[in-house]
Parts: sequence; C-alpha cells; structure tokens
Amino acid sequence: MTTSEPDFEDCSDVLEHLYAFHDHELTEAEADHIREHLMACEPCLDSFQVEEALRALVRKCCNTEAVASAKLRLRVQATITRTVVVTEAE
Amino acid sequence: MPATADDLRAIGKRLGSFPMNLTTTEISEADSRLTETEAERTARFEADALGYLDQLYGAALRMTRNPADAEDLVQETFAKAYASFGQFTPGTNLKAWLYRILTNTFINTYRKKQRQPLSSGGELEDWQLAKAESHTSTGLRSAEMEALDQMPHSAVTDAMNELPADFRLAVYLADVEGFAYKEIAAIMGTPIGTVMSRLNRGRNQLRAKLADFAREQGLIPGGDDDDE
Repeated sequence: MTTSEPDFEDCSDVLEHLYAFHDHELTEAEADHIREHLMACEPCLDSFQVEEALRALVRKCCNTEAVASAKLRLRVQATITRTVVVTEAE
Repeated sequence: MPATADDLRAIGKRLGSFPMNLTTTEISEADSRLTETEAERTARFEADALGYLDQLYGAALRMTRNPADAEDLVQETFAKAYASFGQFTPGTNLKAWLYRILTNTFINTYRKKQRQPLSSGGELEDWQLAKAESHTSTGLRSAEMEALDQMPHSAVTDAMNELPADFRLAVYLADVEGFAYKEIAAIMGTPIGTVMSRLNRGRNQLRAKLADFAREQGLIPGGDDDDE
C-alpha cells in the first residue's frame, strides 16, 4: 500500500480520517479525496460542520482564562535570579 | 527548587532529537551562546522564555486541574528550562521546547505523587478502537450547533478536566495550542500513532460529554423524553 492513491471506500473511511483532515495532517491526495467526498455526501458534510463547531467551542472555552498571578511571576523570576547569584559566587 | 543532575540528564535525553547538524549561521549563534555571560543569558531567557508564562500556566492548569499545583509545575518548569537554556538552539521552536519540559515535569511529578492514574485504565486493543471509532458517537447535527454557543465555558472546561490525563493533554496540545502531531509526539515523548490514538479517544469522549450536557440542559433536543 502506498500513500499516493488514497483508499477510502465509504463514509466510515472518510469519518475515520475527519480529525486528521481538520488537523491538516493528511497528504494532499488524501485531503482532496475527503473534500471531494464532503461535497457529494450530505451526512458527512454535516459531521464535518459539527466537528468544526465543536472545535471552535473547545478552543474558545479553554483558551481564554489563564493568567499567571503576579506572585507566580515573581516566584519564577526569583528562581532565575537565585540561580545567577549561585553561579556567580562560584 | 533547582533541578537535580538527574532531571537535567533526563531533559538532555529528551532534547536529543533537536537538530545536531549546525549550519554556518547556527554555528555563529552557538558560538555567541558559548561566549555570552550569565547575565546576558539570563536577559535572553527573560526576554524569550518568560513571554510564555501565561500560556504555560494555562497548560499547567489544564494538566493539574488546580492553581496551586499548576504554579508549582510552572515554577519547576522554568527552573529546569533556565538551567538547560544553553542547550536550546536559538531559532528553533522555543514554545515546543518549553512545553516538552513542562510535560516531562508533569508526567514525572504525576508518577511520583501517584495522585491519579495517567491513563483511563486498561488500554484498548486496536480492533476495539477501530470498532469504536468507525462511527460518530455524538449524534449531533450541524443545525444544532448554534445552540452550543450558549453553553457555559465551565461546562466545556469541566468536560475537558474529566478526561484521563494523557487524553486531556493530547487534546489540549492539539485543539487549544494548535501543535502538529509530530510536535505533540516530541512533547509527550510518544510515537505519532500513540498521539493519534489519544487524540481520537480524547476527542470522542469530550464530544460525547458535550452532547450529553447539551441534551440534559435542553439546549438541543434529547433522545430521552422521546423514548419514554
């Protein structure tokens, strides 16, 4: 089996590769085959759109909140400074 | 807490896959690394690496699921990163390098503390995976997706936090941080096949939880009432 000719026979093959397709991890030939199938197959296109929306939702909800506290920033900077002092003392 | 010699050796091993064949420009950069003073190196570290503090803290929070542990993890990560910063090749992916140290520290701390199993328990056989993944489990339709925007952020982060640690980490690195499979493989120290399998299972579980939540909250029509 070579990667040159994608071997997707039906919807389940396409759905199986949907995550990798979204992740841009397929070869050009494989991705073209998926695109072709999505344009022709309503249910698979719907699955694709659901996945697109869920991805956006996860990214939006998990990406926003974290800000390191001033205390943590100071702790980290102190770690670095202390290391320098020790090194210079030697 | 300063990194021990063992820690540094372990990190050095993990970093071994970074490019070793230096081009001429890289050699001149490497030379400047060799001749720079401690103060210059510290300034370079502060300018380049500390910019990722918030992002690493966010990742640490996803990994440990509580702020106190996340802060300890981040501090230890920066201490180790600083100690081995001389081994980092300028111009290569600093973010991925820092995430690798963060992940390595997280995994080691986890294994030592034994607070929770790293995986969900028994690894599934390949044939079971193939069977489980050959169909979509959410049953969602794209027409219902607009309703999901009303979902509170906490519902999504809670669902994420319920995933087993190694699935959660893979999903986080891919879907929130946008790392490529081979970068995730390097960060987690696993083959790409393992990354793909963790991503598949983690995403499937996450999507199933989100669909359940949406149905329970009446955001989308549920199957339960119709069945009664």
